[in-house]
Amino acid sequence: MSRKISMKQAINEALDLEMRRDPTVIVMGEDIVGGTGAHGEDDAWGGVLGVTKGLYAKHGNRLMDTPLSESAYIGAAIGAAACGLRPVAELMFLDFMGVCFDQIFNQAAKFRYMFGGKAETPVVIRGMIGAGFRAAAQHSQMLTPLFTHIPGLKVVCPSNAYDAKGLLIQSIRDNDPVIFCEHKNLYGLECEVPAESYAIPFGEANVLRDGDDVTIVSYGLTVHRAMEAATALAKDGTEAEVIDLRTLSPIDWDTIIESVERTGRLVVVDEAHPRCNLATDIAAFVGQNAFGALKAGVQMVTAPHTPVPFAPTLEDLYIPSADSIAVAARRTLAPGGQSPRIAA
Amino acid sequence: MSATMSANPFPLGKDELLQAYRTMRTIREFEERLHVDFAKGDIPGFVHLYAGEEACATGIMMHLNDNDRIASTHRGHGHCIAKGVDVHAMMAEIYGRSTGACRGKGGSMHIADLSKGMMGANGILGAGAPLICGAALAAKVRGDRGVGITFVGDGASNQGTFLESLNLAAVWNLPVVFVVENNGYAESTAMEWAVSCDSYVDRATGFGMPGVTVDGTDFFAVYEAAGEIIRRARDGGGPALLECNMVRFYGHFEGDAQTYRAKGELESIRASRDCLTILSERVIEAGVIGRDELQAVDREVGALIEDAVRAAKAAPLPVAEDLLRDVYVAY
Amino acid sequence: MAPVVGIVANPVSARDIRRVVANATSLQIADRANILLRVLAALRACGVQDVLMMPENGGIRAHVERGVMRAKSRGEDIYPSLHPVAMPVTGTVADTHRATVEMRRAGVAALVVLGGDGTHRAVAADCGTVPIAGISTGTNNAFPEHREPTITGLATGLAVTGRVPPHIAFAANKRIDVSLINGANGGAVTDLALVDVALVTERYIGARALWRTENFRELYVTFADPEVIGMSAIAGLLEPVGRDESGGLMVRLSADGDGAGEGRRGTTTLHAPIAPGMMARVGVTDWRRMPADVAFVPEVAAGSIALDGERELSFTERDRLSLTLRDGAFRTVNVAAVMRHAGQNRLLTATPVPATAF
Repeated sequence: MSRKISMKQAINEALDLEMRRDPTVIVMGEDIVGGTGAHGEDDAWGGVLGVTKGLYAKHGNRLMDTPLSESAYIGAAIGAAACGLRPVAELMFLDFMGVCFDQIFNQAAKFRYMFGGKAETPVVIRGMIGAGFRAAAQHSQMLTPLFTHIPGLKVVCPSNAYDAKGLLIQSIRDNDPVIFCEHKNLYGLECEVPAESYAIPFGEANVLRDGDDVTIVSYGLTVHRAMEAATALAKDGTEAEVIDLRTLSPIDWDTIIESVERTGRLVVVDEAHPRCNLATDIAAFVGQNAFGALKAGVQMVTAPHTPVPFAPTLEDLYIPSADSIAVAARRTLAPGGQSPRIAA
Repeated sequence: MSATMSANPFPLGKDELLQAYRTMRTIREFEERLHVDFAKGDIPGFVHLYAGEEACATGIMMHLNDNDRIASTHRGHGHCIAKGVDVHAMMAEIYGRSTGACRGKGGSMHIADLSKGMMGANGILGAGAPLICGAALAAKVRGDRGVGITFVGDGASNQGTFLESLNLAAVWNLPVVFVVENNGYAESTAMEWAVSCDSYVDRATGFGMPGVTVDGTDFFAVYEAAGEIIRRARDGGGPALLECNMVRFYGHFEGDAQTYRAKGELESIRASRDCLTILSERVIEAGVIGRDELQAVDREVGALIEDAVRAAKAAPLPVAEDLLRDVYVAY
Repeated sequence: MAPVVGIVANPVSARDIRRVVANATSLQIADRANILLRVLAALRACGVQDVLMMPENGGIRAHVERGVMRAKSRGEDIYPSLHPVAMPVTGTVADTHRATVEMRRAGVAALVVLGGDGTHRAVAADCGTVPIAGISTGTNNAFPEHREPTITGLATGLAVTGRVPPHIAFAANKRIDVSLINGANGGAVTDLALVDVALVTERYIGARALWRTENFRELYVTFADPEVIGMSAIAGLLEPVGRDESGGLMVRLSADGDGAGEGRRGTTTLHAPIAPGMMARVGVTDWRRMPADVAFVPEVAAGSIALDGERELSFTERDRLSLTLRDGAFRTVNVAAVMRHAGQNRLLTATPVPATAF
C-alpha cells in the first residue's frame, strides 16, 4: 500500500518499523520525547520539529530524552552500539557536531579499523542540515563535506520522503556509523511512500530525469532546484540528466561516470561552501577518470564561502538557485565549452 | 614474620590473593620490559606505562566478569591485563605485528578486546566516559546486570566529556563507576593546580552521586571500596566515583625526563608507595602466602613476558592488503 | 603578646566508603575553607593576631588564602595573619601528627581542629596540654560537637586571651590507650582512641571504615552518648556514660552478629545507628563499666582494631593486646561553658563587666 506522506512522517515511520522489528534499536536525543521530568504532557514535543512525535507512546522508554550534553549522549550512543545495541541518536541540528565531533570521528569512525576488525559500531546519528529556514549561521549549515572526509563514516542525505524512509532503515541495519542528514526544508515535502518496510542500499544514486545533453549531479534540497533548472532547460531544447546521489559515502561513481560519458557535460550542485566539497570532489574524480568524455569544463554551483546569513533576502541568495544551475548548464553548452572564471 | 600459616584474615582466599599478585606482577613486568625495550628503539610510537598503579586496575577488575565493560585511557596496559586481555596479543600489538590484539592497527594506545569487555585504551583523554555510559545503558536495556567502569586520570577529569558523563550517568541512573586514577600529574602539570575544586568527592557530590577516595597503592583498600561501589551499581543503585590516589613510577610517556618532579620524589615513592611491595609484605606478614610462593609467581610471570616479547618479535608484520581492510573505503 | 592559635584542617576526612554504603556527608573543600574563615574572623574579633596552619595540598589553604586576600583587597582587616607550619606535605595522617607537634613546640595556646573523630584522634595523640577546639567536618563525629564554627572560634578566642578563667574555659577528656605487643618479635605498638575501640574478627584494614556489624565482637568507649553516631551509640543506647564522668563502658557483642541469637539467654538485640544513615541490628551479650587505669585484655584472639570508627591495627593469636582508659588525658575548649560565661559577664559588650565582678 502506498500513500502520500511527508519526509518527516517517513522518517518517523522508518524509526517505528525498525523499533518494532529489532528490540536493540533505541532512540535518544534532546527533546525527542519532550517534557521529560516536567509536569505537562508526556511526549510533549517529539523532537523540536515533531519528527519523533508519537513514537514514545508506541515504544516507551526505548526513546530517551537526554541532558543538553552532546558529547555525553552521542558518545553513549556509540558506546552502546559497540556493546550490541543499534542506537539512533538525534543531534537536532548537525551544526552541533562541533561540540561532540571527537566521539564521532575519533571514536565511532575508527573502532572497526583501529581494533583490527574486531569491533562494530552500528550507530545512526541523524539531524537537520541546510539553509532556507531563517535559522542563521549556526543552525543552517551543510557540513556534509566534513563527514565525507572521515574514513569509517557513512553519510546519507535523502531528497524526498521515499528515499528518507528506505535509507534510514538501511542506516539502522548497517554495521558502521552513519551520519543521516535531513534537510529541514524538505520535512514537509510529500510523495508516494509504501507503508511497508523497505531498505534502499547505500551507494546507489537515483537518476531522476534522463537526458543526453548535460548531467546535473546533486543531493538534498538542491536536487529539487536542479529539477527546476532541467525543466527550464528543456524549454530551450536542452535535455538534462539529473542525478540524486542519495548517499555521499559510499558514493555511486559508476552512475556519474556513465552519465558524463554519454552527455559529455557536467554540472555539480552542492549547498556546501565552495572549497573541498562534494562538487569539487566529483569534478576532480570525473576529470581524472572521464576527461576524454568531457566536451566542456565542469561547472560547480555551490553556496558562497560565507556563513549562512540571517536576513531572508541574503539567505535566498546564498542557496544555489534553479537559475544559477541553468546558467551553469548553459555554460557547458556554450561554443567551445569553456567558461570565464567565476568568482565563488 | 612467621613461618607458620595461620587463618586467612583477608577478604580473599589464598588462590584469589595469588591471582591478584600475579596480575599486578604481570603488569609490572610487562611495563618494565617495555621501558627497557622502548629505550633500545625496538618499539614504534608512544608508550605510556602503568607501573606503580597496578593495585588500582587489579583491585577493581577482580570484581568484574567478561560481561562488564571498561573504557580505558592512554595508559591502558594495566587495565587490559587486569581485564584478561591476552598478554601475547598485547605485546604483539605494541610491536605492530599482525598477531596483535588489533592486528597491529591500534598500537599501545588502542588495545581493545571486546570479547573481554575491554572497550579500548583511548588516545583521546576523557573520551571513554561517554562510551562507558553507552555500555552501561546497553547493559541496562538488556537487563543483564553488567556494569561499566571508565578510567580517567586527574588530568582528563577536567574534560567536558567526563563532566557531562557524570551528569548523564546520574540522570539516567546508569550502572557506571567513574574511576579517577589520581597520580598527581596531568602529563607534567600538578593536579593541585589544575583541578579547581581540589577534591573528586566534591565533584561527585556536585553531580548527585557519592564519591570515595582510597589509597590506590593499597590493593585491599581499592578492592574493598570497589566491591561496594560495583555491587551498588550492579544492583541498580546508580553511578559512583572512586578516586584512587596513586603514584606513577615512570614519566607521562617513555622518554619523559620528569624534570617537573621534586628532588628525591621518585625515589621516595618507589621506596614507600610500591603497591606490589605493600601487598606482598601484607600477605607474607599474615602468614597466608610464603615469600617463596610469590617468588615462584615472579618466575612464571618473567617467563610469560619473555615469551610474549620473543613471540612478538617473531610474529609477521601486517601486509599491504591490511591497509585497506576493516573500513569502508570509498575511493 | 597576643596568644597564637594553631589550626589543623584535614582535607581528606569525610572521603571514605561510608559515602557509598550509607549516605554519609561529604563536606566540600570550599565549605571547609569557609568554616575556617568564620573561625579566623571570630579569633581575630577576640584579639588573636597570629594563627599557625597545617600545610596541605588538598585545597583548603588555597581557598582560605584567597578569602583572606580578597578581604584585604577590599580594605577589610578582619582576619589574623596566617602562618603555615614549615613541614613537608605527605597527604597522610602523618601531616596531622607533625603539625600538632610543631605547633605545640611553637607554643600555641589552643588547637582548632577541623575533621572527624580520626583527625581529632591524631591531634590528641600529640597535643600534650594544649587544649583542642574541635569542629566536626568528618564522617563519624562522635568526638567533636556539632555547632556553628563561628561560636567555636569565639569561645577559643575568649579562652586563650584569658577573659574566661581556665577552670571554666577548659574541660578534661578521657581516652583509651591501646597497647599491642607483637608475640613474634616483641615489638610494641601503642595507639589511642578518643571515643571508641572496636574489635572485629576481620584482620584486613582494607577501606578502613567500619560498617559491617557481623564481625563486631567487643567495644570499649570513653563515653556512651545515645545522641551520637557510631560505636558510642551502641554503648549509649545500653547505658549512657557522660564525657565528664570517670571511666567508660565495655560491650561484648554476640558472635551471632546480627542478633539472630535473640531469645537465647543473655543475648539482647539492639538497633543502633552505627554509621550515618545506617541502622544496624547488633547482638549484645553483656556490658559493664570500664574503670579508669585498669588494663582490659580482650577475649577476641585475632582480628583488627578499629579506633574511632576506622580499622587501624590487626593482631593475631600470638600478639598481646590490652586497653586502658585514662581520665583527664587531654584538654578541650568547653565552648558551652565559655559562651555561657561570656553572656553572664557581658564579655562582648562595649564595656564588659570588670573581671573583679566574679
